[in-house]
Amino acid sequence: MRRSTAAAIGTLTGAALIVGVRLSVSAPVVPSAAPPVVDLANSGQDADPEPAASATKKPSSKNPTTAPAEENTDDEADASGEAGGSGLKNGIFKGSAAKNPYGAIQVSIKISGGKITAADATYPVTGDSATINPPAIASLKQGTLKAQSADVDAVSGATFTSESYVKSLQAAIDQATA
Amino acid sequence: MHHAEHVMGTVVSIDLADNLPEDELRAMIDDVCGWLHEVDRRFSTYREDSEVSRLRRREINPADCSTDMRHVLEACADLWRETDGYFDAYAAGPLDPSGYVKGWSVEIASARLAEAGSVNHCVNAGGDIRARGLSGTGAPWRVGIRHPWEADKLSWVLTVSDRAVATSGTYERGDHVFNPRTGGPARGLRSVTVVGPDLALADAYATAALAMGEPGIAWLAKLAADGYDSALVTDDGRAFSSAGLPAAV
Repeated sequence: MRRSTAAAIGTLTGAALIVGVRLSVSAPVVPSAAPPVVDLANSGQDADPEPAASATKKPSSKNPTTAPAEENTDDEADASGEAGGSGLKNGIFKGSAAKNPYGAIQVSIKISGGKITAADATYPVTGDSATINPPAIASLKQGTLKAQSADVDAVSGATFTSESYVKSLQAAIDQATA
Repeated sequence: MHHAEHVMGTVVSIDLADNLPEDELRAMIDDVCGWLHEVDRRFSTYREDSEVSRLRRREINPADCSTDMRHVLEACADLWRETDGYFDAYAAGPLDPSGYVKGWSVEIASARLAEAGSVNHCVNAGGDIRARGLSGTGAPWRVGIRHPWEADKLSWVLTVSDRAVATSGTYERGDHVFNPRTGGPARGLRSVTVVGPDLALADAYATAALAMGEPGIAWLAKLAADGYDSALVTDDGRAFSSAGLPAAV
């Protein structure tokens, strides 16, 4: 009897601990779910560094397009030292990530033969940021709001009802041309 | 020839600028008005016997609907996807495709006019405009965009040929556009105008952007690649327009 009671208590305690551990493990993961996704992916690659490194460096160490892309600016500047006529070093260079309310934007440029041959910007791809940032790079132009009177054939405005039509500019046009 | 018809809960102004015999123009206007009243009968949510009302009551299945109704349902579904859910024919609960039907019916009306021989006309259905060819002056149609605060003033004047102009705003009927994400009334933009080849899409895009609020500014910018230019005014009176907007100089 006592054994079975102890066994039952032990099982329940164990179950409670497992549940407790699960809760305590999963809880802190949730709020920081978005940013660590990248870190986890990187650490996954770090665990298996040699094939990745040899794969990327395979074409040629003088080819700056692949290998240096994932390293930071200082390393690259040292790694690919060929100076072109312009004094720009070949390689891919990343600016420091600039934070704005919608996420971080990082600009990278590729230099070969002393010239900038490519430029790119990364921006957030998740949540609301994804819908705001990419098109913001080519957005609408801001201008001054005019309040003008002009001779027009038709007036576009928010849907007016029959009642409000009577007071509208379009009604005036219809009367003038009737 | 100019005609104003009360239909679909608003007034549709039809302006034919073709040099054709009066009776021909009159027949074209009658045909268009007949079509618009037919659309009202079939698609009105206010009429108990309309196809939309019967569909709402599940008296008919979408599969048994008319070709036009199936097109409208499909177009609304496409727009829902294309606008990230901000154009929603079910926003108020039961099916209400009015936000698509008005622009679509005027687009068809304009096509019918063109087919009957009117290549220079302008149809304005409660502020949603489809223009073809040139106006009576021999120049492109001049379309004013209503100022969002001063009803008798214009914030832009456009010159358009073979283009549609649609405007959605919060100024006319108050909070009648809702943000489906928050469930509350649309905030951030006071007036959105979209100019493009198809009035049904231009109208739906303008409504969707208005529902989005300020993120709609960036969303509209992407439409320029598909031939849809835009002009808008924010709640705090800032004006924005796309580079290709056919503004009069």
